[in-house]
Amino acid sequence: MARPHIEPFVDRDVPFKKFTLPGFAKGMHYKMLSLDTDNGACSMTVMFENGFSQPPGMSYTDMELFIMSGYLESDDKRYDAGTYFWVPPGVSLPALRAPRGCVALMFYNYAEPSFVESDEDHQLAEREHLTIINAYESMAWTGTSFFPATATGCLVKVLRFDQRTQAFTFLYCMTPNFSQDNISYHDCIEEAYHIWGTSWMMQFGNLPTGGYFYRPPYINHGAFACKLGTLALGRTDSQLYNHFHFNPWTTPEENRERAASRILSWKPELYRWIEQHGHNHPHVPHDFEYPDEGDPHAIAHASGVPHDHGDGHDHHQHEDKPKRRKKKVSRKK
Amino acid sequence: MVKVIEHKLSREVKAWLKREAAEQKERYKLIVEEQEALAPKRDKWVAEFLERIQTKGFNVHADMRRKIPASEIPKQPRRKFKVVF
Repeated sequence: MARPHIEPFVDRDVPFKKFTLPGFAKGMHYKMLSLDTDNGACSMTVMFENGFSQPPGMSYTDMELFIMSGYLESDDKRYDAGTYFWVPPGVSLPALRAPRGCVALMFYNYAEPSFVESDEDHQLAEREHLTIINAYESMAWTGTSFFPATATGCLVKVLRFDQRTQAFTFLYCMTPNFSQDNISYHDCIEEAYHIWGTSWMMQFGNLPTGGYFYRPPYINHGAFACKLGTLALGRTDSQLYNHFHFNPWTTPEENRERAASRILSWKPELYRWIEQHGHNHPHVPHDFEYPDEGDPHAIAHASGVPHDHGDGHDHHQHEDKPKRRKKKVSRKK
Repeated sequence: MVKVIEHKLSREVKAWLKREAAEQKERYKLIVEEQEALAPKRDKWVAEFLERIQTKGFNVHADMRRKIPASEIPKQPRRKFKVVF
């Protein structure tokens, strides 16, 4: 198992623990939000003590850091609340200090947390991808640009977008009195942490400041509401598409099958090519919203219609039951 | 793009991961228990939601709403209603 479905979890309910892994400087404390038990990748709330100081160094996997309160500083720069770092593996960051303490979110994406003191990049480092941006000061809120979209009042700032996977990290806010009456699920993993504010989801109830979730794909969430406003940081591992519906009781398996069925409706040629590899076998996944649109393959069989598999055979008929050899019965006269 | 630079895990790191994995297991159990205890409230929220989408409408896209006719309202299946998986 990679990471389980952690939802909801409120980190305010648990104390900080000392972070004492080899390589890391003294003065770090953490709360584990979620952990991939296969590879050690994890998400944590981290507190740097007043006067914390670490030498220049790098990590073996990419690391994201978002400063929620306080600040970090290097010799020539100050990183205030709202600063987001995306640090590729092997890229060396300068020495950092937290003269007055700092609280941040830290994400190690493909392996356990690591810190290797070094003022030079590793030979495999891809420094061109290093991102450091202050999301509070340098970015404007925009509406969500995925369709179907969330209701008015849900705004985002995209901090990082992976061109290859379309995974992204983003700040989002819900304005006071936000509401959205649908149930959503996604094909991607979704993870979020409430920096400030409380929002409500029909399945899980209220998620307050310090609230967190790590949600695997195809799990229902919503309807949504937020009375006083919320500011949060979210992440996905691939493209986020809002599969909206209004059936509160569907399972992740049913949701996944519906998602596959929808791709068949949206991109039939591509779906057939991917799913059937040129073997034109007319199987259709089940969409719980359109139960009458049955499986053409099953229909073809039920009605005894010979059908083309597109694999060089002119027609094709399955036998309903395998032929069995009749037992020879010896009749005694 | 490189995701992980090959490296060895020390004994301390392995022990830390083991401890954290065990704690996460406990955390997950607690979440499941809390969410099961929330079931009566959730049933009420679901009933209210199903009422709202018939009167106010279901958000199809952004603020575009469609009022769902009673005939389209789903019926609760007999299986256990799970929200944490």
